[in-house]
Amino acid sequence: MGIPTVTISSSEFVGLAKDTAVGQGAADLGFVIVPHPMGMIPIEEIRKKADLVFPEILRMATEWKPEAKLPPMKPVYPAGRMKLKGTVEEINQIFFEKGLSLGLPILPPTPERVADMLKGTSRKPDDLLGMVPPRMGALTVELVSIHAAMAGCKPEYMPVLIAALEALLDPRANWRGLTTTTATSSVLVIVNGPVIYEIGLASRQGAAGLGHHANASIGYAINLIADIVGGSKPPSPDKSLLGGPGDFVCWIFGENQLALPPGWEPYHVDRGFKKTDSVVTVMGVYPPVDNIDHWSVTPEEHIRWWTNLITPMLSIGGPCWISQMDQPHIVALGPEHAQLLSGAGWTKDIFRKAFWEEGRIPFSAWPKGCPNVDLLVKKFGPVKADTPIPMTLRPEELHIVIAGGAGKHSHFFAPFPGCFPVSKIIRK
Amino acid sequence: MKQIWMRWILSITVIVICLFILFPHVSSVSVTKETKQEWEILNPEGVIKIEAMKINPHPSTLEGKTVMLRWNGKHNGDKFLQRVEELLKERVKGVKVIKSWEVAPETVDPITGNQERSQEFAKAIAKFKPDLVIGAQSD
Repeated sequence: MGIPTVTISSSEFVGLAKDTAVGQGAADLGFVIVPHPMGMIPIEEIRKKADLVFPEILRMATEWKPEAKLPPMKPVYPAGRMKLKGTVEEINQIFFEKGLSLGLPILPPTPERVADMLKGTSRKPDDLLGMVPPRMGALTVELVSIHAAMAGCKPEYMPVLIAALEALLDPRANWRGLTTTTATSSVLVIVNGPVIYEIGLASRQGAAGLGHHANASIGYAINLIADIVGGSKPPSPDKSLLGGPGDFVCWIFGENQLALPPGWEPYHVDRGFKKTDSVVTVMGVYPPVDNIDHWSVTPEEHIRWWTNLITPMLSIGGPCWISQMDQPHIVALGPEHAQLLSGAGWTKDIFRKAFWEEGRIPFSAWPKGCPNVDLLVKKFGPVKADTPIPMTLRPEELHIVIAGGAGKHSHFFAPFPGCFPVSKIIRK
Repeated sequence: MKQIWMRWILSITVIVICLFILFPHVSSVSVTKETKQEWEILNPEGVIKIEAMKINPHPSTLEGKTVMLRWNGKHNGDKFLQRVEELLKERVKGVKVIKSWEVAPETVDPITGNQERSQEFAKAIAKFKPDLVIGAQSD
């Protein structure tokens, strides 16, 4: 748009800011660095920080000229080759030291292994799926195969992996935010349709946990690609404050379609696909909250468990960042909880509406520092202290998936800001 | 005495043989070593593909110019920029300051990376035709 800018960043985040600028095509921008932190300090301190850097703001505004240039671009295909000597253990060590692995073991991606992997897809190896943020590494089908080989995937997993990556590369998935945030966020992958049974992807007891080769290796390959092709390495540009296991292997499970209550459609049908389609849905999420309800015998009692565990604050929506309130949330209902609802005649819609209405909390319960009350008024009309504020703008933003096996648990995945679920048909 | 020693040696031999039978992997690990080999390996890093953005020159002075202050919603960013506004008005003759959160509240959003929203915000800010945007971000 051609408008000059001066970007003020705290010292802890300037690396991320600069990497982001490069990823957008600006090799250089006028930055002013303020000693960290800026948030959660008294107003007097933040004003002193402004006084401290104001001369630099003026200088950057009127004297800044670009110095750095983008690196020369190389062909995206074929992938480069390396000659190495050593044991498998030593190759792993070399990969780790070069930043080509996450710290977990990998299988060396030899040309033979990669060629085998390519047999699992009809896509050409030079097909460009997109650029993986924040580094904007060009992701070809060949490069996907390299990472699938490293993660120990089987060739038949390739269509699921490719579809998941294409979904993540959709701007609505906000992969950039997910891999650079301070939050303990992760990719969530939900798989539906016949492919679950064709490749043996786990969809029942412990589906998202250990012991399932397809889930584990596809989830590992996705994170290898995010970290290595996308370059989201800690401490910058991956700014995870703590991080978590989801940084190694992302959440991935098939919907337990065999446990769907009578009349309840599978998740991909809710999203407009045919029952016979194989579909992958990805979304950036926070770690889930476990609803451990062993006791309810009616839907009304069960709803109370949900609404006492899951408040709108979990979704960071509401008057703090109201723009997040249009983001879907994933309610991964355990089969037994779903049966309780269905047995009493509840449909997905009835459950959604009850959860949404009962889960609202009064405006007075929100932190005082939250901005954007004006926007809240635009969305809900006049707001008083006792005005009930829901977690999403509409009940429809609660997306219901049947997940896991026997037991009395369900899980709630709040979305990471700016992340929307993206679904893709899995094609061989 | 000799018989007792013979019995001891026999017992120990039997125990060792049994251990080798019961835990063959332990014995193999302890006596074999993985050999080094030459590897040809495909590089998993991939190459960067970025389209260069045109960067416009900055104004040589802010006097008489319009400056937009852009806050993304993170805590204290607005307080910081309010102080910047005070200092600009004190020290720069004829500068006009616009605060994004007052004229375009929909742009107050931590966005955290969403490209589509970022572009919408940039367009909303551009409508005010500022000569310079000063943005405060991060925690």
